[in-house]
Amino acid sequence: MFKDLDPILHSQLRLAIVSLLVSVKEAEFTYLKEQTNSTAGNLSVQIQKLKEVGYVDVEKKFKDNYPQTICKITPKGISAFETYVKILKQYITKK
Amino acid sequence: MKTTIENDLNQNLMPEESLQIINSMISKAKNKLADDGFHLIFWGWLVMFCALTQYITFKLNIEWGGWVWMLMPIGGIVSAVYGYKQGKTQKVKTHIDTYLGFLWGGFLIAMFITLAFGYAHGLKSTYFFLMLLYGLATFISGGILNFKPLIFGSLFSFAFAILAVFLDNADQFLCISGALLCSYIIPGHLLRAKFKSEKNV
Repeated sequence: MFKDLDPILHSQLRLAIVSLLVSVKEAEFTYLKEQTNSTAGNLSVQIQKLKEVGYVDVEKKFKDNYPQTICKITPKGISAFETYVKILKQYITKK
Repeated sequence: MKTTIENDLNQNLMPEESLQIINSMISKAKNKLADDGFHLIFWGWLVMFCALTQYITFKLNIEWGGWVWMLMPIGGIVSAVYGYKQGKTQKVKTHIDTYLGFLWGGFLIAMFITLAFGYAHGLKSTYFFLMLLYGLATFISGGILNFKPLIFGSLFSFAFAILAVFLDNADQFLCISGALLCSYIIPGHLLRAKFKSEKNV
């Protein structure tokens, strides 16, 4: 239906992740999980997809002996998000 | 957004729904108040205590008054430990955190230079520049955080800096105390109250 919209971003959870990441400098996996109310498994899969297309950078660290995943949006991700919003607006104004 | 976002591919995701997700997530991230006011309150009270102690000892001709400033390195340790602990529990780093970090980092450098070399031009000019720095740092912080009490409070630091020019050496400490009360302590407590109320929402 909305073929012009980036299929990577046109998904509830991935769009929520990217929307959060464009607003902050970087965020921990647990923060994204809390804000999106998603399960760790699903979130992990979606972040991996965003990473594969180069929209998100993922850094794995250790904090107090616990693994910590930090996510950050890339310039490519910002550009894709901006394009997505632009097309989205066109769809809405066409109505 | 209260609903659980679980779907992977959403062929039926409507543009309005997409916009709603974007708006909801951006406002969630933006509503987080970046500063809990601890450093403003802590340094405000500590430096004001030192300034008032020095004022009283000056007036009473007590020589050890200057030693009270030895509390500053201890304050530095407390502040650093608090900042370190806060950083450990922080799950998200916003652009505002970065801006504030650079602002207060630059403020610290300027303050050390003023304290270390300002004496070349006398006590009055040292405290004059310190109050200008207090005013500038809190004015910009207030703007970044969009927190009006900090912006208004900072104006008092500028006013006290001007006032101090016309007063004698001992009274400089009263001006410093006034500047700290108006631009650090009062806005700091208000900021902390706002931070706590937002946290409980």
